[in-house]
Amino acid sequence: MIRPDPSRAIALLCLSLAAAADAAARQPGVSDTRVLFGQSAAFSGPARDLGTNMRLGIGAAFREANLRGGVHGRKLELVSLDDAYEPEAAIANTRQLIEKDDVFALVGAVGTPTSRSAVPVARQAGVPYVGPFTGAEFLRDPKLHNVVNLRASYYQETEEIVGRLIEDRGIKRVGVFYQDDSFGRAGYRGVVQALGRRNLRPAAVGTYPRNTLAVKTALLDLRAGSPGAVVLVGAYQPVAALISWARFIGFDPVFATISFVGSNALARKLGPDGVGVFVTQVVPFPTDDVFPVTRSYRRALAAHAPAAEPEFVSFEGYLVGRMAAVALEMCGPTPNRACFLDALSGKSEIDLDGFLLRFGIGDNQGSDAVFLTVIDDGERFRRIEEMRWP
Amino acid sequence: MNPLLRRVLDGRSRISTQLYLGLGCAVALTVTASLVGWVWFNRVAEVQSRVNEGSVPALAAAFAVAQQSGALVAAAPLLAAAAPADLERITARIAEDRRAFETQLNNLARQGIEEGRSRRLSARGAALLGNIEAVEESVVRRFELAELRERKRAELSELRSRITGLMAPAIDDQLFYVMTGYRELGEAPAPRERHLAPREFARYRNLADLQGHAATASQLLAFALNVADASLLEPLRERLEASARGIRGWLAALGPSPLRDTLSDPFSQLIRLGLDPEGGVIELRAAELEVEEEQRRLLVRNRGLGLDLVARAEGLVETARREAREATDAAERTIFTGRNLLLTLSVVSVVGAVLVAWLLVGRVLLRRLALLSDRMRRMAGGDLEGEVNVAGNDEVAEMAAALEVFRSHALEVQRLNLVEKLADELRGKNDQLEEALTDLRAAQDQIVMRQKLAALGELTAGVAHEIRNPLNFIKNFSESSVELLEELQEEVQTLLGEGEGEESEGRALVREIGSDLVENLRTIRQHGVRADGIVHSMLAMGRSSGERQKVDVNRLLDEHARLAYHSARATDPDFRLSLEQDFDPELGEMEAIPEDLGRVFLNLVSNACYATDEKRRAGGSQGYNPVLKLRSRRRGGRIEIRVRDNGNGIPAEVLDKIFNPFFTTKPTDQGTGLGLALSSDIVRRHGGAIRVETEPGEFTEMVVELPLVPPADVVGGESADGGNAPGA
Repeated sequence: MIRPDPSRAIALLCLSLAAAADAAARQPGVSDTRVLFGQSAAFSGPARDLGTNMRLGIGAAFREANLRGGVHGRKLELVSLDDAYEPEAAIANTRQLIEKDDVFALVGAVGTPTSRSAVPVARQAGVPYVGPFTGAEFLRDPKLHNVVNLRASYYQETEEIVGRLIEDRGIKRVGVFYQDDSFGRAGYRGVVQALGRRNLRPAAVGTYPRNTLAVKTALLDLRAGSPGAVVLVGAYQPVAALISWARFIGFDPVFATISFVGSNALARKLGPDGVGVFVTQVVPFPTDDVFPVTRSYRRALAAHAPAAEPEFVSFEGYLVGRMAAVALEMCGPTPNRACFLDALSGKSEIDLDGFLLRFGIGDNQGSDAVFLTVIDDGERFRRIEEMRWP
Repeated sequence: MNPLLRRVLDGRSRISTQLYLGLGCAVALTVTASLVGWVWFNRVAEVQSRVNEGSVPALAAAFAVAQQSGALVAAAPLLAAAAPADLERITARIAEDRRAFETQLNNLARQGIEEGRSRRLSARGAALLGNIEAVEESVVRRFELAELRERKRAELSELRSRITGLMAPAIDDQLFYVMTGYRELGEAPAPRERHLAPREFARYRNLADLQGHAATASQLLAFALNVADASLLEPLRERLEASARGIRGWLAALGPSPLRDTLSDPFSQLIRLGLDPEGGVIELRAAELEVEEEQRRLLVRNRGLGLDLVARAEGLVETARREAREATDAAERTIFTGRNLLLTLSVVSVVGAVLVAWLLVGRVLLRRLALLSDRMRRMAGGDLEGEVNVAGNDEVAEMAAALEVFRSHALEVQRLNLVEKLADELRGKNDQLEEALTDLRAAQDQIVMRQKLAALGELTAGVAHEIRNPLNFIKNFSESSVELLEELQEEVQTLLGEGEGEESEGRALVREIGSDLVENLRTIRQHGVRADGIVHSMLAMGRSSGERQKVDVNRLLDEHARLAYHSARATDPDFRLSLEQDFDPELGEMEAIPEDLGRVFLNLVSNACYATDEKRRAGGSQGYNPVLKLRSRRRGGRIEIRVRDNGNGIPAEVLDKIFNPFFTTKPTDQGTGLGLALSSDIVRRHGGAIRVETEPGEFTEMVVELPLVPPADVVGGESADGGNAPGA
């Protein structure tokens, strides 16, 4: 006589059942034929060379793996979105990659402020955040279970620079020039700590706003401190502008900068002004063969982008790509995010053709290696053991 | 039974007519019951269909409307809380709910619910639906405004970085120029009076202030985008206008230059973004807040309307429910009445049928048939007394008449048979009587014999008792005479002893006579003892000597056989006998007086010993081997004991005398003649019997049969019977 309408209840039931079955069976970004990775990086704006080259390196590594038949039969693919080095865009991109593109993991992000914004989003969604192009200390926090770093930290790089300046050159008046954001401040803190360990303080400090070339006020501030050396922590264009203007107005201390600047872009931008600028690197010199992995990299890069020159950023991208592939390989034929992260944590040790990555409990950073280079008069980098030029 | 009915029943018709009449009555009753049932079922169906087609659908419709009202009331809050992505889905669902509500309202109207009520409900529904539409519109508008706001936010963010990107290098350049005189890379520095001129300083300050105002304006705008209180918007607008005035002022102060041209565009965009009356951030935010306020109002109204609608729908449901209940009650009452009616009819039918069966078939027909059959059975059993008389003029009455004829014939035949049978019986009885007479005679002989024996026993007991005293005298006096004689001899010897040393002739003679006298007296005493023994045995006859108890018969037999054997050996060293025992181990114990039974066995074995010894002594028959076989067997509740010797046997002429007292074949000084008589008496007193099987010259076998439990009266009775006389 009086019956509740059953169709709605059945529809609801079907919907919830389907959702549950779907969640149990499916691993995001993984199909029978491919594993999809996502990248949010700067492909426009002053840091665009960094994003572009990271993408190039990762692409080369994925292509290399795919030519061998993929990982457990699955092709590795990368979808990249441009955040122009802006944190808001990085958040939006990360959301889109996770929710819409449904990627398995995020790789090769570029920049400290962008990572700082994107990591909480990825962490909340439980998505691995692998091999960001930044040495910021907060990403080395062992509490961030979903973050895996490849490269040495900014602190390690600034420590290397300050140590060399003092030991090799006997310079005690050290100035710091940095971008006024989390990245720059991380580098600045690294320099201050390194000096502090030697009972020294920065002789001069100059800053510039992110994404501008307004470096001249900083130049005035630095010159006022008359330092023997200036450590530069910033994007390559402002850094190049600062060095050029300093040389132009006759302010000529030793310039040293950390890897972030994008070494080749810096060298190109500086032209003759770049001679004698020291740059620390977190990957081996891409054109010498101390490590067998450099040869693999050049071969992969030549296959992937014949026009591209071997350089540091794409080399780092290549290493990140290789690391992701190895972790996926270790995960077995039915990969999921948990086992992917397990492969890159705990006590695992990964040998990428001689370039060793060591992870440990509370250590989510694979490599501690810092390499010193200098720009020579041919706008090229040269690997050096001591901080001397010529 | 009243006389009229009796007459009707008595003036009876044929059985078929009676049966048809009975069946007809039953069928008539059944048809009546079915008709009434059918009519009532129709009535019940009618009432039930009124319930099914009227009340129940009305209730269902009211209920559906109430339910749907609930869904509609929930629609507006659902809409208000919706995210933009869900809006379409929720709108579709609400439209569906709405259609369902209208359909159900129509449905309700068709169910004959009171016109006014239905219309009022419909009006409330329409008001609620109107309100939901308004909420829907306001939600759509709110989403549009929110989207617009997000666009403005993005625009602001973009403008900000554009302005920073322009302002920061401009200020940077100006400061550097003022401090160093360098303007462009590669250009020679300006002279001091140029780059340190007040004009350049003013320009630097101008740019710095411009940047300050720009920063303030963007911050105010960012705040305005998030403000939640409409009253805060007006002060914000005022401050923004102040900033805008400042920006315009400092832009004008820059004077015509390429930098001003580049800057004026983003700055005027910034001002427009904030203050444009058409789509400026302030206006936009004000409109959005207004829409939100209106939506709140609509929701409040929705709640009021919804409560009212639901209350009315519930009222409707209540009414419908009441009506349905009333209709159902009516139907139930009808069903109840119908059921009772049917039940009554059924009872009446059954009772009627039973009555018809009882009256026509049971009470009258069957009873008369039973009467007839009872008479037949009795006749078959031989009872032909009484006339067969059944009233009426139907088949039963005819059968009764025929039976009467049979009966009289049978009576004749029976009389003839009886005479013959009586004669036969008489003959049989005669034979039995003759037989009994023979038995009686035998028994009588036995009784006479026993009485003779008893009288003899009595007599002997009496005589024995009397004889015992003289015998005692004989014994005692002969004994004392022997002593006296011996004393006399000694005196005589002393007296004669004067002439010592030589033996005179007289002395020898006296001594010889004395010795003879002593010898004679001893013989007298010996025979007195013997006579006392005989008397003792006679007294023992018929007297029980002990208590009745459980006796192992095998053991008793064995003991007494040995006793007899050894006693025989003691009197005659030549005596020999081989004793063979064949005892039944299952013989068990019997109740008996062991001393008496032992005496029986002792007698039997002693006799056997004597018989074999006699044959041995007389025969000289070489190779004769005296054998005594003792055998015991259990036969049901009795035991059988056989004592067999291979002596001379008993001659046929004495066979029937051996149990008589004082009969003996032994020499006078050896048997009292009482042994077997005594044994027979004892065995009889134990409820048993003793008999003999013999072949003269070959063997004698004495067979004793005893019951395991002798009847108490037998032992006691005989004991009194046999024991009294000697004791008296």
